Amino acid sequence: MRTNQASGAALPQMSNESFLTLFMVGVLAVIFAIACLVVPNFFQARNVLNIVTNNWFIIILGIGVTFLLITGNFDMSVGGVIALTGVLSVWFCQGANVSQNVLANGLGLPYILAVGLALLCAVGIGAINAFFIARLKVPSIIITLGTMMLARGIAQIITHGAQRNTSLPDEFGLVGTAALPGTNIKISVLVMVVLVLLAFVFEKMTVSGRRIYLIGANSEASRLSGVKVGRHLASLYMLSALLAGITGILLASEYKAGVSNRATGYEFDALVIALLGGVSIAGGFGSVLGMFVGAIILSVVTSAATGLLLSPDWQFTIKGVVTFLAILAQRFALDRRK
Amino acid sequence: MELTDNVLEIRDLVKDFPSVRAVNNVSFDIKRNTVHCLVGENGAGKSTLIKILTGADQRTSGNIRLNGAEYAPRSTKDAKLKGISTLFQELNVVDQLTVEENLSLGMEDTTLGFLRRTDKTKRMVEAMNSLEPSIKPRQLVSSLSVAKKQIVEIAKAVATESDIIIMDEPTAAISEGEIKRLFKIIKGLRERNVTVIYISHRLDEIFELGDYVTVMRDGKHIDTRPISQIKDRGELVKLMIGKTVFEQYTLKEGACKDPILEVRGLSNQKLNDICFDVHPGEIVGFYGLVGAGKTELARAIYGADSYGGEIRFKGRRLPNSPDKVIAAGIALVPEERRSQGLFTILTIRSNVPVMNMRKISRAGFIDGSRERKISQEYIEKLRIATSSMEKETRKLSGGNQQKVVLAKCLFADADLLMLDEPTRGIDVGAKSEIYAIIRRLSEEGKAIMIFSSELPEVVNICDTIYLLYDGSLKETIRNGCDLDSEKILHTVTGGA
Repeated sequence: MRTNQASGAALPQMSNESFLTLFMVGVLAVIFAIACLVVPNFFQARNVLNIVTNNWFIIILGIGVTFLLITGNFDMSVGGVIALTGVLSVWFCQGANVSQNVLANGLGLPYILAVGLALLCAVGIGAINAFFIARLKVPSIIITLGTMMLARGIAQIITHGAQRNTSLPDEFGLVGTAALPGTNIKISVLVMVVLVLLAFVFEKMTVSGRRIYLIGANSEASRLSGVKVGRHLASLYMLSALLAGITGILLASEYKAGVSNRATGYEFDALVIALLGGVSIAGGFGSVLGMFVGAIILSVVTSAATGLLLSPDWQFTIKGVVTFLAILAQRFALDRRK
Repeated sequence: MELTDNVLEIRDLVKDFPSVRAVNNVSFDIKRNTVHCLVGENGAGKSTLIKILTGADQRTSGNIRLNGAEYAPRSTKDAKLKGISTLFQELNVVDQLTVEENLSLGMEDTTLGFLRRTDKTKRMVEAMNSLEPSIKPRQLVSSLSVAKKQIVEIAKAVATESDIIIMDEPTAAISEGEIKRLFKIIKGLRERNVTVIYISHRLDEIFELGDYVTVMRDGKHIDTRPISQIKDRGELVKLMIGKTVFEQYTLKEGACKDPILEVRGLSNQKLNDICFDVHPGEIVGFYGLVGAGKTELARAIYGADSYGGEIRFKGRRLPNSPDKVIAAGIALVPEERRSQGLFTILTIRSNVPVMNMRKISRAGFIDGSRERKISQEYIEKLRIATSSMEKETRKLSGGNQQKVVLAKCLFADADLLMLDEPTRGIDVGAKSEIYAIIRRLSEEGKAIMIFSSELPEVVNICDTIYLLYDGSLKETIRNGCDLDSEKILHTVTGGA
């Protein structure tokens, strides 16, 4: 401990946040190296690229979830919002009165309008969260578990518990499947990268971003220092729902279908990658960059498990064990530093 | 065992803290089956003495004998087993359990882990019944008033055959009628072989209840006497304050400007029709004991609590939410620096500018170099002792933490600064530095309001002093002319 402190004073001081992000990058490197040794054909450009890109939807969700975690709040409704927005965008877009089958008939709105309205409904779910949590001060875990079921429930009603995938215009499938010119990188991945960069700038450079940390560090002191705590929380819940809505639109477009059980459990994945990235469950600490690293760690593990031809039955267990070990290592490293 | 006349004998008791000697060679006896009152100003050493008796704190040196035997509790539980129970201000009852379950809590009889109703439980319920028949054993404690919860605790202490029950300000949170009933019970405890050590700021209670009184001042034992040998509360007050020497206050040449703050008929649950003015450049002190309404007054003006009445600032009606009040030009250094003032897990650099982010940002983007420059400036100006502005504030000492909170409020560029207990729990050096900063601000024309329960503090720096008792302004004193500390203490302890 003593020597640690001495060397810490000699080196330029690094914040706990940078330390932890770097530490998790180290953990990622170790896991990646092991995967390369053990899994055949793991270390290939194509595979490495996939590792970064094929989790784009969880990373977009992770942005909103991370911000809220830093304020000391949960958002468990994001998976439900994806399902709801996807189903709504399909239903709004499906031709009106085109078939005997109820599930083939929609409202016949133009695609852009359908998307706009679906996103509005997503933000509406965020507004419900905001009202109960920011205004009525109900614990966020209760409310967002409620809206999680509410959103998915509405999606199930609209799809009769299944899915809608017929009588859709051609442009519906465009945005989710199109790749960037000259590459096979999907537009969705580009959206994710842009959102992560914007979130990083917001978090580190703006006044509103700073206030997220203030609220999480001490909500009462924030209020007494003139931070409008309620208004900030409300905006963040609506932002998180909007991000989930965008994800829902992209996924529905990719599969050209609105599926009521789409994105089941994604809220937990988003939570796990944030925690893997060092975001404190008590609030006041963490970063979007850390969350991104956490997402890659989870992705490497999943990909390695697939590469080892493990049956999907085993994947959950492996993910669980790695998450557990990674978070233990993280806590241990942070304690040693103090 | 032959029982002596004294249930407790304290000899040469000393307790040192890093910067102060809180209890200084205290010796006195407490007679068996009496109500023994303990009085003194804030900081006189009462609480430390009580903490040693209840095992919450360990003495530095000295001797305590309980029933003639050496007494050195290692914990509050140990103290209870040895015969000293305590009724803390924060009651030790579990709301979600019944009265009966609370009575046996911590000393349940069990067989193989299963609870068993035994004579002990029955004895406790009987004790409960004889003290206050209206409380039913199967009732949930959450349905009881504060006073009745206290009675449950007293019953528990009686049934476990405690020799001494310590009561720390038991009447602070209960109503007039309940106080009467509580007093009846306390008086009845003498017949049950229980000695009561009673602590209160309300001196009238001491004359009504006590058999003996011990006065403490500055950590020292001043006197122990039968109540009957004390003429009146005036004499008691004189014992409590002794010859207090105040630092020299220099009278200011007050050019009477228009008031910056006008408060008229301010009332809420804790405050009662409060009216006063504050002028630019004036330092106004609000002095009162714990629970007098100082913090409530500060919070109401700040918009943190709701109120009725009118507050005008610079001639305009003051809005009632902290963000708007700050924007209008008022800043508050709150009472609890760690839970209300400071972001302890964030760095000094992140703490300093929070009340005025506009000044370090452009179009919503933080100017990092400006932020660092300003933090450095305040670290130097207030002489905050730290190796770096990137240090988390929880790692600073109390005095330096308070300076960070002060820096935060100064950076808000307020015209009126309110400070609630600005020097509580910080050492003498940091204290006088903070006073110097306050004086300088007032010379710059800022209005200052100080809320304090330390008389030397308000007398030392305030131009005008308001005395608060029970949510009302009792008296206004112009500093420098007719300062009578006896009269002041008389007023803030409820004397007419």
